[in-house]
Amino acid sequence: MSELGRLQEAFAAALADASLASRATKLFRGVPDDAIVRLAIYRGNVLASMGKALANAYPIVVKIVGEEFFNGLAREHLRRHPSTSGDLNAFGEHFADFVAAFRHTQDLPYLPDVARMEWLAHRAHYAKDAEPFDIRRLKSIPEAAWNRVRPVLAPSCALLESPWPVARIWEVHQDGYAGKFSVDFDSGPERILIHRPRFRVQVASLSAGAYRFLQRAAGSSSIAGALEAAIAEEPGFEFPAALRAWVEAAVIVDFELG
Amino acid sequence: MSTVRIPPPQAQRLGAGVGLRAVHYHHFLESHPDTGWLEVHSENYFGEGGHDLHVLARVRADYPVSLHGVGLALGSVEGDAAGHVSRLRRLADAIEPVFVSEHLCWGRAAGRHFNDLLPLPYTEEALELMVRRVQELQEVLRRRVLVENISAYLEFRASDISEGDFLAELARRSGCGVLLDVNNLYVNQRNHGSDALAAMDAIPPEAVAEIHLAGHLVTKRCLIDTHGDRVAEPVWALYDAALERFGPVPTLIEWDTDIPPLATLLTEVRRAEAAMNERACV
Repeated sequence: MSELGRLQEAFAAALADASLASRATKLFRGVPDDAIVRLAIYRGNVLASMGKALANAYPIVVKIVGEEFFNGLAREHLRRHPSTSGDLNAFGEHFADFVAAFRHTQDLPYLPDVARMEWLAHRAHYAKDAEPFDIRRLKSIPEAAWNRVRPVLAPSCALLESPWPVARIWEVHQDGYAGKFSVDFDSGPERILIHRPRFRVQVASLSAGAYRFLQRAAGSSSIAGALEAAIAEEPGFEFPAALRAWVEAAVIVDFELG
Repeated sequence: MSTVRIPPPQAQRLGAGVGLRAVHYHHFLESHPDTGWLEVHSENYFGEGGHDLHVLARVRADYPVSLHGVGLALGSVEGDAAGHVSRLRRLADAIEPVFVSEHLCWGRAAGRHFNDLLPLPYTEEALELMVRRVQELQEVLRRRVLVENISAYLEFRASDISEGDFLAELARRSGCGVLLDVNNLYVNQRNHGSDALAAMDAIPPEAVAEIHLAGHLVTKRCLIDTHGDRVAEPVWALYDAALERFGPVPTLIEWDTDIPPLATLLTEVRRAEAAMNERACV
């Protein structure tokens, strides 16, 4: 390895692990004790900016566990899952799995799914804008063509199934929420849609049939195929009303022949 | 380097600008704050859509916009993580920025990214790497980029070139411009006795295309480059010296932590403009 490469690896090791800092001090001018302090400044900066990036992606987790505990989580998470991208908004993908496995968050069993929801919301925030779809075009798709036509979901759409009431948890933690701050953790499993109609990410709770339909649609199923799966899940699934609502809310943004 | 474009002529008349931050979006959407131009952190607009990009496109209609990258870590021996440069290119193609800039730093090693601006040793080896990386970037973006001097809390024993000479040589070999951060020169002077004026003297006047001004934090151990305060008086004095040498170069007021009301930033903008005008009248 080049001299510069060795220098950067030694510097990197000292930033990643304070106990390795003394090995790197010989790289720097001045007395080793000063270098240790200055390396700690860099280490602190990295921790602070990565913690801030993580908190930006997971605001509800911060509210649930509190800032101080979150900072501890962020530190441990960074140790196990260092950043690999120069784009801070791409950092934090593994946080839900980290929280699920972390010993000190086991008393909050719903936290991993809250984190999963927040990561999907974070991604939705940056997703490609959906082109508006003229609802009148729906009429041009006869029922006979349903087995050949595929609904196209907006790029921001994501689906999540959880044993916990994550949509309700989302709702009560939104800025400006003025209702009762209560969550019934025994309300049963929830299926949610995360999407961004224009600029603001929304989370909606779905019926079992609606969830199955959109899940199949996301997997490039035809209208007929998705509908069959939805009705198998929920015999009373009201498709025409659901379809109209999804087109109006820019969840379904196009139809493809295929 | 036939593909490298020179900066547009209006760049010289931009005056002073501010960094656009999300907390100030509404001012720029609702009115037309009096600032010559705006600069954003490129990576904050790497998404394919959404509100941030929408705002950027809107303000771009009213102001020249500069794209200032913080994540390329050009001086890292380890190569670029796939996609960063192409996302920057997509953004630059969409926004048609007045400048595209990055830092004289590294930040990636052993498979991880520190998302920080880490100092390089000023050696021939580091210079050659930076020249190569800057040239590659300029070829992808099909334009000249600016490279900014950083603040550093550590100095390498291996360094055998001065910071000013390193920047000057990087600009000469790669064809890039210099984004001169006057606050960083001052922070480095205070932290390890480098000579800010000597660094400026080493850089040819025509190489500097943009100046950054920001606040720092004075601590017992050293100065910390926080971008979280007004520009300090000694930095204003150095700015005067920079204007003397480099002319009325477009100047940006940077503020990234504890961001104050926009009016506070605009006060700093007025002061920078006054300093430029004073020089122009001498």
